[in-house]
Amino acid sequence: MILTKLALKSLLNRRASVVLTLFTIAVSVMLLLSIERVRVDAKSSFSNTISGTDLIVGARTGDIQLLLSSVFRIGHTNNGVSWQSYKYITSQRGVKWSIPISLGDSHKGQAVLGTTPDYFTHYRFAKKQHLSFSAGNPFSTIHGVVLGSEVATKLGYKLGDSIVISHGMGNTSFHHHNDNPFEVIGILNPTGTPVDKTLHIPLAAIDLIHGGNASHNHDEHDEHDEHDEHDEHDEHDEHDEHDEHNNLTGHPKQITAFLMGFDSPLYTLQIRRNINQYKPEALLAIMPTVTLKDLWEMLAIVEKILLLFSFVVVLISLLGMLTTLLANLNQRRRELAILRSVGARPWQLFTLISMESLLTTFLGCVLGCALFYATLLLGADYLQSHAGISVNIAMLSRYELTLIGVIMAAGFIIGLIPATRAYFYSLSDGMSIKT
Amino acid sequence: MISLNNVTFKWHKNDKTPTLTISKLNIEKGQHVFLHGPSGSGKSTLLALLAGINEATSGNVTLLNQTLNTLSNTQRDVFRADHIGIIFQNFNLLPYLSPIENVILGCQFSKKRQQKALSHSATLNNEATRLLNSLGLTEQYHNKNVAELSIGQQQRVAAARAFIGNPEIIIADEPTSALDTQNRESFINLLFEQASNTNSTLIFVSHDENLKPLFNRSIDLVSLQEAL
Repeated sequence: MILTKLALKSLLNRRASVVLTLFTIAVSVMLLLSIERVRVDAKSSFSNTISGTDLIVGARTGDIQLLLSSVFRIGHTNNGVSWQSYKYITSQRGVKWSIPISLGDSHKGQAVLGTTPDYFTHYRFAKKQHLSFSAGNPFSTIHGVVLGSEVATKLGYKLGDSIVISHGMGNTSFHHHNDNPFEVIGILNPTGTPVDKTLHIPLAAIDLIHGGNASHNHDEHDEHDEHDEHDEHDEHDEHDEHDEHNNLTGHPKQITAFLMGFDSPLYTLQIRRNINQYKPEALLAIMPTVTLKDLWEMLAIVEKILLLFSFVVVLISLLGMLTTLLANLNQRRRELAILRSVGARPWQLFTLISMESLLTTFLGCVLGCALFYATLLLGADYLQSHAGISVNIAMLSRYELTLIGVIMAAGFIIGLIPATRAYFYSLSDGMSIKT
Repeated sequence: MISLNNVTFKWHKNDKTPTLTISKLNIEKGQHVFLHGPSGSGKSTLLALLAGINEATSGNVTLLNQTLNTLSNTQRDVFRADHIGIIFQNFNLLPYLSPIENVILGCQFSKKRQQKALSHSATLNNEATRLLNSLGLTEQYHNKNVAELSIGQQQRVAAARAFIGNPEIIIADEPTSALDTQNRESFINLLFEQASNTNSTLIFVSHDENLKPLFNRSIDLVSLQEAL
């Protein structure tokens, strides 16, 4: 159609200003899409970190604090759970599995987690996926260490390497446990969760690196009366295994927290209530899915502000387009009069001008998407390693397409302003051209 | 062919005296009319009425047996596209189209003129080339940037655009005012030649009375209006 051709040619003729307008729109589209993609992926990375775990139990703090320290390795817990309590609680009816975890040590800035081999069979992430090994096996000796994928790649460790684990968090620890080197016997596949940044060692080894059978500095737990009865419980079912795992679990006095799965979700609420009312020790049980949601809601405000900003950027770029269009329009009154003289009707001039803004917005969006994917390709690794957000380099989601549609619509509506002016110019100017 | 009867035109309804008052004006088919008068004598207003851009406040403007007053705005736009070719004073061309494309633009908004143009040549491109050649613009210029053409050359392109598809009426609004004397006459002669070829009626507006002898009829707008 002649109007489309005219619109294209006239845009090409003013390419310098059009390219600038196009670029501002493209950058704003890229910004909006990137923020949106990171937001969505951050959310899913967050909620993918742990799944299939019904309860996390630790010393009584805040829900979110317990989640952050036990799953995300963020922050510190000063108190732990006594081994007796752990034994007692996990021996309740309905408990399908449990994983004790002991945190607080580090290796070159990466978290060290003491646990049992059950961790590798019961810990699940994302859509109930199990951990899998890219090399080696779970630890079977007290000096075995299983590395998260990122630890292995970042520090360049292979199977068979021996490493030293220090006491406390952070890189510059004065306490090096040189006498207890560990051997890398397994490397996990990437999960996009903090597991990737963790070194897993047997629970017994935690005691070992702190000097024999002494646990962490907390020894406030005396004998509890209740333990008499629970001893009977675990006598029968756990003893057989015990011999085999004995050297790996050791006899810790305290662990940081533990994860539990139940035979049926019905047990979850009941056992959670029991734990929260547990007399001998101040404990807290959280349901990770619920707490993750709370956590995300806390972060939602930041997310909303980011989104708001990117919308403002889009708006500014569209207003920039409006300014250029209006500034050009006065110079183009002559062009409108010529078109009118060859028989173009006012509404055709209206269409012509609004088509130009629509085309500019459309090309801006296309270019913006290209920039967006370029940014993703360049930035995905950085985000994964620095923020733990695994960004999905996938096709545009329906929501993202809707966003682009909204931008196009906004561009179109804004373009109606100069188009309307062109319409009235063409009526008032007629063919007498004012230059 | 063209007739105006008791035509008045006011820009606004409430204006006391009309901008233009013409009791009677007839122009025959094929005439080359020189329409002159000082600035402010209503030349542009009359052209706008003839081209159907503006509507007479009272009286009838009839072109080709069609009374323009009875047409809607859109119908007048279509009528203009179909039957009238217009040449302006200067800056006649769209800067982002080549000379050839500028010429073709003349029949782009009218099916009738496209068909007529295609009855002369196989394609619109060929017809535009033919017209430009016959108006003395050689092919080396046909696809140049219009900004690189001289004003004389630009006016030839504008003339070709007005003539493509053989409109019955050609309106030229001071098309030679930016040309020097020599170019002026040769341009007018080209217009005559082309108008005679296609048997078009040419209405040529100018304030330059020196051109008057070239035309077979001249109308003084001032005395035309006083005649009432």
